[in-house]
Amino acid sequence: MLDYTKYRLKPDQEILDILKDKTSIFLVSCKKCFREFTHEDGETEECYILPKFLKDNNKKFTGCVDLDFLCNSHHNAKILKDIDFKGAEAVGVLSCGLGIALAAQTIEKLPVYAIADTIPQANNNTCETAYHGIALTAQKCAACAQCYLNVTGGICPIVDCSKSLLNGQCGGAKNGKCEVKGKDNSTKDCAWEKIYNRLSVQKSPDNNTAINIRNYAKPAVEFINKLSNANLEKRNQGFYGGLHPFENKDTTNEKPISSFPEPETVSILLSQHTGAICEPLVKSGDTVQFGQKIGDSNSFISAPVHSSVSGKVISIEEALHPAIQKKVKAVIIKNDFKNTQHESVKPAVNIEALSKEELVNIIREKGIVGLGGAMFPTHVKLKPPKPVDTLLINGCECEPYLTADNRVMIEHAREVISGIQILEKILGTKQTLIAIEDNKPQAVEAMKTQTGSSITVSTLPSKYPQGAEKVLIKKTLGRDVPAGKIPLDVGVVVTNVSTALSVYDAVYKGTPLIERIITISGKNCSKPGNYKVKLGTPLQNILKHCFDKPADTNTEIKMGGPMMGILQPSIETSIIKGTTGIITVDKKVVEPDTQRSCIKCGRCVDACPMELYPLFYAYCSSKNKLEDNEKYDVAACIECGSCENICSSKIALTSIIKQSKRIIASKKVS
Amino acid sequence: MLVTQLKSKEELLTIIKKPAFVIKCTGCKEVLFPVTEIDEFLKTAEITVSDIISTDYICNTDFALKLSEKYKSEISNSLNIIVFSCGIGVQSISALLENKKVISGCDTLYINGFQGLNTRENNCRQCGQCYLSETGGICPITACSKSLLNGQCGGAKNGKCEVSKEMECGWERIYKRLELIKETQKLTGDIKVRDYLKLL
Repeated sequence: MLDYTKYRLKPDQEILDILKDKTSIFLVSCKKCFREFTHEDGETEECYILPKFLKDNNKKFTGCVDLDFLCNSHHNAKILKDIDFKGAEAVGVLSCGLGIALAAQTIEKLPVYAIADTIPQANNNTCETAYHGIALTAQKCAACAQCYLNVTGGICPIVDCSKSLLNGQCGGAKNGKCEVKGKDNSTKDCAWEKIYNRLSVQKSPDNNTAINIRNYAKPAVEFINKLSNANLEKRNQGFYGGLHPFENKDTTNEKPISSFPEPETVSILLSQHTGAICEPLVKSGDTVQFGQKIGDSNSFISAPVHSSVSGKVISIEEALHPAIQKKVKAVIIKNDFKNTQHESVKPAVNIEALSKEELVNIIREKGIVGLGGAMFPTHVKLKPPKPVDTLLINGCECEPYLTADNRVMIEHAREVISGIQILEKILGTKQTLIAIEDNKPQAVEAMKTQTGSSITVSTLPSKYPQGAEKVLIKKTLGRDVPAGKIPLDVGVVVTNVSTALSVYDAVYKGTPLIERIITISGKNCSKPGNYKVKLGTPLQNILKHCFDKPADTNTEIKMGGPMMGILQPSIETSIIKGTTGIITVDKKVVEPDTQRSCIKCGRCVDACPMELYPLFYAYCSSKNKLEDNEKYDVAACIECGSCENICSSKIALTSIIKQSKRIIASKKVS
Repeated sequence: MLVTQLKSKEELLTIIKKPAFVIKCTGCKEVLFPVTEIDEFLKTAEITVSDIISTDYICNTDFALKLSEKYKSEISNSLNIIVFSCGIGVQSISALLENKKVISGCDTLYINGFQGLNTRENNCRQCGQCYLSETGGICPITACSKSLLNGQCGGAKNGKCEVSKEMECGWERIYKRLELIKETQKLTGDIKVRDYLKLL
């Protein structure tokens, strides 16, 4: 790997000149980006030399701080402001120019001195040649703004020819070697000879075409600034970090919700929620009815499960849970296609008069859980041990492909609002917000026409992971949920729009949570759309009904969206309460791997919405010390996958994070 | 760090031969990469493509190699490979496929000072002889439109640069900053002239 040395210490005399009337110095240094990430701390040569050098020259060294990506103003302005520079007369900064400028802007009271010179990545000053790309390869690009590679067989004449000639060989090459010698007397191959050979292989007729002369005015500063400012604005919209993945929502956005064909058998898992697993209430051979409770638990954090069809229980056996990818108990029911309703499926009477407790009880009995994917029992959320002032309804649906919540808001606006009003009544909150991303104008319109006085619809610029609870609360209410805390700690309850719909169904229709609306889409999908699917419907049915051909070697099936969705290596599983969609995506050309090494490009730090430093997770993993991730706040991670998505080294950060969390949790228990 | 811009449609259409294999490198999509323009071009240009691959970081030669292996047959069935990426990505693909014509779909623009992901800071020109100690942490090379090192040119009006009204006078900013940290005497000393040899 190439070392991108970005700065070097100034010459000794120059440092002494800068610091001549100062006796005590505080040192801020940047741990350098684009380097092989083998040392946790900076441990650059300069960090050792400098304190000793200062001491030798009778300067007091009052302290130092090593920071990652010093130029990252969002993170480091806060850190620098909190530092106590007491006793120091000046601050010396060891960084590239960007870091020094940030330190100078932030540390207002003390003079900030540059003790390093930033050096260009260029190999000569006549062209802006640099090791541009992000992957630390030796390939160079002059960023000339008028790429010549098309006419030169993919070999760059500006970079590879010592004279940057554009119109062919100079005539000085001997035996294919350039006449210009490098510093160490080395010679390189003549670029134009390489170009000629390449073009001969390709039998390209372009050899005699006129060549564009180089236009040095082309990469105008103003133009670039405009581009990068527009981009910066888009990136920083709303909250720090995040990404704009390809949405791919167009195929299903306009598709109305339709019913998925009834399955012949359903496999209803007894664990479709966070918390205790239900005990079966039926046994093999029993006849069950539509909406009958077939599993329940005595634990507070749990939710009962119901039969989604009427028919006969064939067996109670272990089945693969699609979310945790482990076997859990399931009730297998053969459908008689009669949909005979159970007596419990009837609307509540005199709804207006029902007390809070009665309403919560209905929601518990009907097995309502959070439908955004987390599957947390709703009745638990509705009994907050702390005061709550805000109900936040999450209609962001920031995952690509998924459009089910969007359709729910468009087609069931009235029901969703009624569901929200029930939740408002139970919680006694003062304000209710519905947060929707601006890529769903129809849903925003539908919700706005239905909302009452206490409900406000807030439209947010779309960015992933907008729908993550903590991000959403910060964005809409400006409240920070501290690491390890939940929304309740800042007086907020967050619920998904589909959950509000199922609350409505439970109270006004008496239907338990036995079906849900999911998006089916992706590669090879012949019938993409938003379907109302009965819980327990086998995944195979969905693949057979909606896809031309089942997943081949190049595609993979995911439950949920492509970012946070769970890979389904086996199709022997079924739809559960937390299934937001079934999609097929192309397998990545380069699969993320836990073994690759980090190059400290810093992109994960820029993308992490929780403002963490995911690169350290990869570092600890490479040292086989996953438990050390605790000190890098791995617990605060929301597993949105942004870091893994943007990682330039394709490190499997999400799996490292999940594993670290497990190890740390098990260590705490023991 | 770099910025890419789509080449003109006419320019590309004269060199593309059908069918083409298209590689879109979207690794720097969050930085600056003309994704929508590329999609629009592919839609309206009516070029026959054998496949369109969306991937990222082909500047990493290992990843580029994996890509070329995976799509070996598609690549051999195509007359051209069109690569939408920076100059590095195009070169790493063209180095792997010597007997194929690799077309670069984008122009790469230079931006000074490249770090990590964001193009938010544009204020270091890597001169190799940092002046920030003398100028209160504001770089005269980037903050002054004329890159003057020895103080104000005198053309600024009400603190605004005469070159661009939207730009503040860099030297006025420097002066104010030095006043704040009580270091204005620095302005009376000799300033080092710029040594372009340091660039080498």
